[in-house]
Amino acid sequence: MAEKVKLFVNGQEVEVESGKNLIDAIGAVGIEIPHLCYHPALGADGNCRMCLVGIEDGRPPLVPACKTKAVEGMKVQLDTDKIKKIQHDIMELELINHPIDCPICDQAGECKLQDYYMGYDGQKSRMTVPPVVKSKNMDFGCGVVHDQERCVLCARCVRFTRLITKTGELGIVNRTDDARVNIFPGRPLANRYALNVVDLCPVGAMTSQDFRFKQRAWFLTKSKSICHGCSKGCNIYVDHNREKYKDDIIYRFRPRLNQVVNGYFMCDQGRMTYKLENENRLQTAQLSGIDAGLNETIEATRRALSQSVKTVILISPNCSLEQMHTLQKFAASCNGCVSGYSDGYMKTGDGDDFLIQDDKSANRAAFALLGIDSSKSGFMDSVKGADLLVSFQNDLSRSLSAAEIEKLHGEMKFVAVGSYVDGFTEKASITLPVASYSEDTGTIINSDTILQRYEVAVIKNNPILDLIHVVNLLGGEIKDCKEAWADLAAHIVPLSNIDLEHIPSEGLALTDNEVSNVAA
Amino acid sequence: MQVKVLSTRFDIPDAHKIEVAKEHGAYSTLEKVFSMQPEEVIELVKASGLRGRGGAGFPTGLKWSFLPKNIDKPVYLAVNSDESEPATFKDRYILVRDPHMLIEGIIICCYAIKSHAAYIYIRGEYTTQAKALQAAIDEAYAAGYLGDTIAGKDFQLDVTVHRGAGAYVCGEETALLESIEGRKGQPRSKPPFPAVEGLYGCPTIINNVQSIGSLPFILANGPEAYKAYGTEKSPGTHLFGISGLVKKPGMYELPLGLPILEVIEKVAGGVRDGRTLKGVIPGGSSTPVLTPEEAKTVTLDYESMAAHKTMFGSGGIVVLDDTVDMVKLVENLISFYHHESCGQCTPCREGLGWMLKIVKKIVRGEGSTTDIDLLVELCDNIEMKTVCVLSAACTMSTRSYLNKFRHEFEAYVKSNASTQTAM
Repeated sequence: MAEKVKLFVNGQEVEVESGKNLIDAIGAVGIEIPHLCYHPALGADGNCRMCLVGIEDGRPPLVPACKTKAVEGMKVQLDTDKIKKIQHDIMELELINHPIDCPICDQAGECKLQDYYMGYDGQKSRMTVPPVVKSKNMDFGCGVVHDQERCVLCARCVRFTRLITKTGELGIVNRTDDARVNIFPGRPLANRYALNVVDLCPVGAMTSQDFRFKQRAWFLTKSKSICHGCSKGCNIYVDHNREKYKDDIIYRFRPRLNQVVNGYFMCDQGRMTYKLENENRLQTAQLSGIDAGLNETIEATRRALSQSVKTVILISPNCSLEQMHTLQKFAASCNGCVSGYSDGYMKTGDGDDFLIQDDKSANRAAFALLGIDSSKSGFMDSVKGADLLVSFQNDLSRSLSAAEIEKLHGEMKFVAVGSYVDGFTEKASITLPVASYSEDTGTIINSDTILQRYEVAVIKNNPILDLIHVVNLLGGEIKDCKEAWADLAAHIVPLSNIDLEHIPSEGLALTDNEVSNVAA
Repeated sequence: MQVKVLSTRFDIPDAHKIEVAKEHGAYSTLEKVFSMQPEEVIELVKASGLRGRGGAGFPTGLKWSFLPKNIDKPVYLAVNSDESEPATFKDRYILVRDPHMLIEGIIICCYAIKSHAAYIYIRGEYTTQAKALQAAIDEAYAAGYLGDTIAGKDFQLDVTVHRGAGAYVCGEETALLESIEGRKGQPRSKPPFPAVEGLYGCPTIINNVQSIGSLPFILANGPEAYKAYGTEKSPGTHLFGISGLVKKPGMYELPLGLPILEVIEKVAGGVRDGRTLKGVIPGGSSTPVLTPEEAKTVTLDYESMAAHKTMFGSGGIVVLDDTVDMVKLVENLISFYHHESCGQCTPCREGLGWMLKIVKKIVRGEGSTTDIDLLVELCDNIEMKTVCVLSAACTMSTRSYLNKFRHEFEAYVKSNASTQTAM
């Protein structure tokens, strides 16, 4: 626990963490100090001047809260007429050259300028002279669009490219009210985290080419989830909306703060995986490429399983712990071999030292924990003499060449239980759709062996059955996710003491306790 | 009234050359300096009462004593030669006419603060001055006054001339450091103060050219000789640049404490025949203007200026006569500070541009009394809300014109033309 200090805010005593600046320290106990340029991941810059607070008996008596540490006995003034006037004056100055184009601005509804205008300004404009005219709709690259007129020059984006990605594509050129955020001529944003500047921008100056003009922020439901783009497991918000007469559609992923896993950020590639949840989904059960009813297809699959001499159950490294366990039990019940072969999900060398991992699957760490073999040799041994291959969300075409797939296809029947149309589902004679992770709940372990849980984010108009339910219909004994976890906890020692309802928001690090106990 | 303390060698032909300068006493204090302990030099400078000549007037010796003791980092000296304040033209005389006085001062200062690297930050427009200074430094290296040993003593010192790129704000000490470090010249938030964390994160002393230039005299003649000039709280002499509508504008070295009107009359020849005095800017464009009535009791020292709610500033006195249009003067003034705002802090970046547009509107004859009131209010709203005092330099001076010459602004508002000519 961090050391606590007592200080006074508006005469009231509050206990806050020491060592933090006033914005964070006082903010943690629910008292807002308005600020535009300060961001905990980027440090204090002190340029917006919105966080100026009074310090009674202080020297100097007026300080930027972002650059002032919380100290025992400090008397912070936020509600004096002087401070209120400063906040009002700064807001007035922020807005004099701002286009006030909220009706056509994507940031509207989640804009600091709007919030602060309502909270701290609220007066009519006194601007009787023409505002400064600046450039709009500038393509900064990586899908980032910049509007200089909306910009408040807080330099969060500039600091992001200097401090976080260390690529430095952005800068502020010129002085005075000629100052503009810009790229250098012919050198647009070129890093794999560029879209984070859209989230960082407190106003509508940075917008995403992909998201622009699609939805108003206030219509979006913000559900929590975990990105499945790689094994990092970045915490995300799934922003989705069901428009009248339409289905529930995901419009964007945004990073969600998790200090242990991903901090405030996520990569652009992971951010764009929201599209996979909307498009190219496996929607209908099919027999030999022809739409068939679910019951009919389930029956056909059961028949195939019962007639099979040797069945191979192929599990995806994206399946949750509960799904993997359910499948293991199911395989045992129908004498099937289990494989987690998924070399194609590895992109060696693609990862970096920040968030992006080589492994483009979300739960490979569970393979080791549950004893699921994922080697190619293991898989090749399994398929020897097999006449049925049932893949659960595993796109084998990513791991094997077309010729290899073709050879296997000649030897056995393919059944695909999956969420997306992929190279394997196209070859399968039976396809069964199941819910994807954004429509399902589950537990996964990331590349740093941190256990995280995701909940249902999106409910479609016609919900697709989840994988465990489908396996149950195929003859599996586990009925739902809860039961799967109870069974897991009973059988897998490292998971035995975990209370799923109370996993901390930053995830549960398994390395520290359970997993190491097992090794010993 | 004129004295020769700093300007002793200014009128000697070729005094910028080391052999001529040495003939007339340059580098003669070094023997004495190196025989003293560094702390003794600091005490001696403290005793002289020398105050920083950059404008703020902070005691030089006291500033040096703020350096942290027992540090394992190098200490730097940055000499502020970014003389950019409108109406200020004193340091350029030292740079061109007696650069060796500055170099000698740098040696004294660096010995006192235990620094082995000094940077002279010179404004970009000073091409002649930079060349003259560099030539003098080259001579000093050749003559053994700079480099691995100084005048044969075991003290190493390197001096680097760093030319600015034309930003007024780089005269602000922390923006100056940013600029030397190769970044955009933008002031840093204080604390930390440069004496603790300055250039390249190391303790740094920043002094004005004239402050450093004053050191050889103090070392040679002792603090008492220096204090013989000036007033008790403002000892010594100052290079005053007198400009504006006087008969004899120019740079004059004077002891501090002289009545400002007497100096204008006797030294600068007074206003032109048939004209009357309308106002005096006492120390560079940023200092609040004085009316002739106020000027009657003002003397050229820090305490008198403060008592009259203005500032001593950089010693750049601007004399305004009855032909000056104060509204257009303010337009010119705001235009300058707006152009030079670094653009970092919201109030200065956005506010000065707004003020400029309002005053232009008034000049065009389209203004109203609301606009005059708004200008006054904006001065209050912007002032002291920023990292540095550039915005205050604009608002403090602007406010003085708005308060003391409001009738001129109102005349613009009432009839949309001025009968007075522009300055």
